[in-house]
Amino acid sequence: MATPRIVQQGVKQVKPLMSVDRTEARRRVLNLYKAWYRQIPYVVKDFYLPITVKMGRDKVRELFLKNKHVTDIRNIDMLVIKGQMDLVETANIWKQRNHVMMFFKDTVNPKPTDFLSKFYEGQE
Amino acid sequence: MLRLWPVRQLSRIQNALGLTQTAFKSSQPAPAPDLVEVFIDDKQVFVEPGTTVLQACATAGVEIPRFCYHDRLSIAGNCRMCLVEVEKSAKPIASCAMPVMKGMKVKTDSPLTRKAREGVMEFLLVNHPLDCPICDQGGECDLQDQSMAFGSDRSRFTDNAFTGKRAVEDKNIGPLIKTIMTRCIHCTRCIRFASEVAGVDDLGTSGRGTEMQVGTYVEKMFKSELSGNVIDLCPVGALTSKPYAFTTRPWETRRIESIDVMDAVGSNIVVSMRTNEVMRILPRLNEDINEEWISDKTRFAYDGLKRQRLTTPFVRNSKGDLIPTDWETAFFDIADRVKNIVPSSIAGIAGCHTDLETLVCLKDMVNRLGSELLCTEESFPMINSGTDFRSNYVMNTTIAGIEESDLVFLVGTNPRLEGSLVNARIRKSWVHNEMCVFALGAPVDLSYDYQYLGDSFSVLKDIADGTHVLAKALAEAEKPMIILGSDALQKSDSNLILDTVRSIAKNAKKASKHPDWKVFNVLHRNASQVGALDMGYQPGVDILKCNKPNLVFLVGADAGKLTEDDILGNSGVIYIGSHGDAGAQMADVVLPGAAYTEKDAMYVNTEGRAQIGRQAVSPPGMARHDWKIIRALSEILGVTLPYDKLSDVRSRLAEISPTFDRPGRAEETGFEDISDNVVIDKMAVKGTEAPVAPVLLKLRDFYMTDPISRASPTMAKCVQAYDESEKNPYSRPEAS
Amino acid sequence: MLSSVCRAVVSKTSHQLRSICRSAAVASDKSFVHRDSPDNNPDTPFQFTPENLKRCETIIANYPKGHEAAACLPLLDLAQRQNDNWLPISAMHKVAEMLKMPRMRVYEVATFYTMFNREPVGKYFIQICTTTPCMLGGVGSDVILDAIRENIGIDVGHTTDDKMFTLAEVECLGACVNAPMVQINDDYYEDLTVEDMHKILNDLKKGVKPKAGPQSGQNHRFASEPKTGLTALSEPPTGPGFGVRADL
Repeated sequence: MATPRIVQQGVKQVKPLMSVDRTEARRRVLNLYKAWYRQIPYVVKDFYLPITVKMGRDKVRELFLKNKHVTDIRNIDMLVIKGQMDLVETANIWKQRNHVMMFFKDTVNPKPTDFLSKFYEGQE
Repeated sequence: MLRLWPVRQLSRIQNALGLTQTAFKSSQPAPAPDLVEVFIDDKQVFVEPGTTVLQACATAGVEIPRFCYHDRLSIAGNCRMCLVEVEKSAKPIASCAMPVMKGMKVKTDSPLTRKAREGVMEFLLVNHPLDCPICDQGGECDLQDQSMAFGSDRSRFTDNAFTGKRAVEDKNIGPLIKTIMTRCIHCTRCIRFASEVAGVDDLGTSGRGTEMQVGTYVEKMFKSELSGNVIDLCPVGALTSKPYAFTTRPWETRRIESIDVMDAVGSNIVVSMRTNEVMRILPRLNEDINEEWISDKTRFAYDGLKRQRLTTPFVRNSKGDLIPTDWETAFFDIADRVKNIVPSSIAGIAGCHTDLETLVCLKDMVNRLGSELLCTEESFPMINSGTDFRSNYVMNTTIAGIEESDLVFLVGTNPRLEGSLVNARIRKSWVHNEMCVFALGAPVDLSYDYQYLGDSFSVLKDIADGTHVLAKALAEAEKPMIILGSDALQKSDSNLILDTVRSIAKNAKKASKHPDWKVFNVLHRNASQVGALDMGYQPGVDILKCNKPNLVFLVGADAGKLTEDDILGNSGVIYIGSHGDAGAQMADVVLPGAAYTEKDAMYVNTEGRAQIGRQAVSPPGMARHDWKIIRALSEILGVTLPYDKLSDVRSRLAEISPTFDRPGRAEETGFEDISDNVVIDKMAVKGTEAPVAPVLLKLRDFYMTDPISRASPTMAKCVQAYDESEKNPYSRPEAS
Repeated sequence: MLSSVCRAVVSKTSHQLRSICRSAAVASDKSFVHRDSPDNNPDTPFQFTPENLKRCETIIANYPKGHEAAACLPLLDLAQRQNDNWLPISAMHKVAEMLKMPRMRVYEVATFYTMFNREPVGKYFIQICTTTPCMLGGVGSDVILDAIRENIGIDVGHTTDDKMFTLAEVECLGACVNAPMVQINDDYYEDLTVEDMHKILNDLKKGVKPKAGPQSGQNHRFASEPKTGLTALSEPPTGPGFGVRADL
C-alpha cells in the first residue's frame, strides 16, 4: 500500500495550463507566431509606426527567440498567453503607438552602484 | 502680517473663555521693579522704560503695520502706518516713535486704529501707481500686503483723468539699483540706511510737499559697497535690483539657505533658484555675522556663475592646446603623469573658494600618495607657533564682539573692502558706542573717522615699545581690538609685522582689565583660508619654491600667485575648479568643479566659525562636486579614499577638528598665552621694515577679486560705472 | 424736455469716453533735481567775499562746536544775497564744505525752502501773492497780476530779456490785512492798486527805489490799522516794569 503512494507522489503530474505535452505547446507557439506575423503589416499601418514590415517581423522573431531556452510546458504556455494578450491589445488598438514602440526600446543599463561609475554617470 | 490676525483672534477667544492666564491673574510673574507696565489690547506686558509702543506691542505678540520703521535704523515716524489708539489720547499716535508710559492702554485693533490705518493706506495709494503686474516687488511688497490686510477695498481716488497721479522722474544711481521713483512712498529707509549703516550721505530728499523726491538731487552713482541692501529695505518697488529686473517672481523661486564665499566673513545668504539657475542672492539674518546686510559683491556677483564656466574636462595636447575630453581620459592622463614621478614631489594648492570637504579630500589624497606639500594660495607668516594655535590666525573676538570693544586698531587692512560686514560692525560701534579707531596702512575711506598713523613700520615698533601715544591708549582701553589684515601679510617680509603686532596685542592684553578679552584678530580675505589652516595646510606657496614639485594640483587657485617659471617650471599642473580663470590657463589637465551655489559644502569664516552652505542648483555640464572629483581620482591613482558619501567626508572632518562638527558656532579659541610664549627662534623673525599697506584701496578694487566676480558682467559694469563716476564732478570726495 | 434728453445723452457718452492719458500736473514750477546748465554747474565760480566770509565765521560761532550744520540756513542766505539773489550749486557745495556737512544735506535744505532760488533770477524778483485773501482783498490780486504782466511783458515764471524782472506767483506771504500785495526782493508793497503797481515797476525801471509798505489802496496807511482809526493800543506802549509789584 505504501509503495504505490510514494510512486504516485514521484510521478505526480502538475496540472497543465493549456497544453498537455510538448507538441501541443509547440503548436500553440507557432500559431501565435503566425498570428503576429500576419498582424504586423496592419500594426505598422494602423499605428503609423516609423518601421518597415520587415523590421517588425524581425522584432517578433527576435522576441520569440529570446525565450527559446524555455522548456517547461507551463512556462511556455504562460508566455503564449501573455503574447496573445499583447496581440489582442495591439490588434484592437488598445495600445498606443508608444506602447508598441516599447518593443524596440534600447536595452537599459543597470544603475551604477560603485562610486567611480556613479561619478562618470554624473549621478548622486 | 496677515497671519497674525487669526492668532490674535484666537487668543482673544481664549481670554474670553478664561483658558489662558489673563492679565489680571496673580500668577503673572512678578516684574522687575524698573519695568513699565503697559496694556496691549488689555493684555498686560512689562517692558523696559524707553521702549516704543510698537516694540511693546511686539512683546505682546501683536505686530503693528509699518513702512518707515526698521529695527536697525533710526526712527523717522513719517509713514504714519503704525498709528494706534491709546486710551485718553485725543488722536491716534504713531507707535514707532512714541515711548511707552506707565499704565498706557494701547488698542491695536479698535475701530479708530483700523480707520486710521485705512486712511493712511488710502493716502499712500493715491500717490502710488497701480503697476503691480509690471513691478518687480510684486509678491514681496509691504504695500501690497498691508493694503490687503489693512486697506480699504475701494478707492475714492477718481481723479485719474484730470490731474492724474503723482509722477516722479527716475534716478540713475548706478548699475546695481533700478529706481522707479513714482512708486516711492517716502519712508526714507534708504536714506537712513545710506547715512547710518553705509556711511555714505548720497541719498536724501529734495523738494517739499507733493513734490518731494527721494534721490541724489544731482546725478551721481550711489557709491557704497553695501548699496544693494536698500533694495531689501525698500518696502515698495521704488528701489529694485537691476540685474534681477523682470526675471522671476518671488513665488516661482525656491529659496536655499547658503553661505557666501566672496570674502572671509561668511555672510549668511539665501539663494533664490528657478529652473536650475541662480536668480538672485538675498541676505539671511545672522546676528553674529552679517546681521541682515550683505555686500554688493555677495549680492550681485552671481551672474558670474553662468559665465566662463568649465563644463567639461580638458587635457592639453602636444601642440599646447586644451582639448575637451571625458572624465576617464582626463583621469588616465593624470594617472600617467603620477606614475612617472617621485610621489613626494606632488603638491596641492588650495584657492580662495575651496570648501572643507575638498580640502580634506585633497589633503588625504596627496598624503596617501606620499607627499606633504599642501598649501594655500594666501600667505600667512609662520613665526613662532605659526598656525599651530588657532588664536594666531582667526578673529578671536568674533564679529559681534566688535560691538563690545571701545578701541579698534586696524593694521594693514581696509576692512571696508576686505570684509564689508566687519566694517559695517565697526561703523555701527563707532556711531553708537563712541569707539575710537586707529589705522595703520593706507588713508582709505572707511566710512567713519579714524586716526591715521601712516603706513610706516616704525610706528608699529614704537607702539610695541610703548613710546607711541597709541600704546597708552591701548593700555587704558577697556576692551581694545587689533585687527590685522591678511592683505598686509602677503609679502615675504611680513614676519616682522606679525611679530610686532602680536607683541602689541600681548601688551594690551596684559594691561586689559578683562582677562577673557582677546585683543589679537586677523581679518582674512579668502573663505577657504581659516579652514585650510585648521586642517594643516601650509599658508602661502613659498614652500613650493624650495621643493620644486613635479605635479601640482590647483584647487581653484586663481589668484595668480604662481607663475610658470617660478614654481611650476617643468611640473604638470592639474586644475580643479569652476571657472576658466588664471589657474585653468596654465593647467595641463583641467577638471571642472562646482561653484559654491552648486554644492553642499562647509566653509570656515575669519572668526573660525564653520558654516554649511547648501546646494541650490546642479553643476553645469560635466562638472562634478570638487570632493568627488578628488575621491574618484584617488581611486584611479590607486589610493582610494575611504569615503563615498558626503556624510562620510563630514565624519572625517569631525575627526580632524570639533569645530567642523559644530556648524554655526564660533568656538572660543584658547591657549593664547601658550602660543604667545612659544618663541622658537627669535632670530628667525626677520624682515625688512617695509610699509604696511593693504592692497584694496578704492571701491573699484572691491568688485572683481575672485574667479566668480571676475566673470560677472554686473561686477564689470560696476567697475565701469566707477570709472565713469570718477569723471563726474559730483562724485568727487567731499571735504568733511 | 429736449434739453434733458440732450443732457442724458451727453452724460451717457461722456461716461463712455475715456480721457486721453496725460502726464501728471506738477504742483510746482521748480525742478527738484539738479541739471547742469551753462550758468549753474559745479564749476560755476562762487567764493564768499572777504566781508561775507567774516560774517560766516560770526554766524558759525553762534552755534556750539560740532553743531556747525545749524548755520546752514543763514550761510545759504548769505550766499544767495551775495550772488544776485540766486544760489548756484557751487555755492551749496561751498557751504557744505564750510560746515563739514554732506552735500546732500545742504541740497535738502536748499530745495526745501522756497526762498532759495536755485536758478538765476532778474534784478528784481517779484513775488505776487494770489492766495484767497489777496485775491479778494482790495482790488484783488488778479488785476494786480494783469498789471504786472502788462507792464513788464512777461508771464508768471519768466524773466525779462534784460534780466531786470522775474515774476513768480506764490502762496500767502502773511500780509493778508494789506491785500493785495507783492514782494519785490526783500520789500513788501501792500494795499496795491493798478496805478501803484505801474508806478512801482516804472520807478524800478528808472532805477528809483519806491517806498515800501502800504500804498494808495487804503490811503497810504501806516501799517494795518483799520480805516476808522485805532480801536485798541492807541496809547504809546508801556515801558518795562509796568504792572509789576514794586518790591520785585
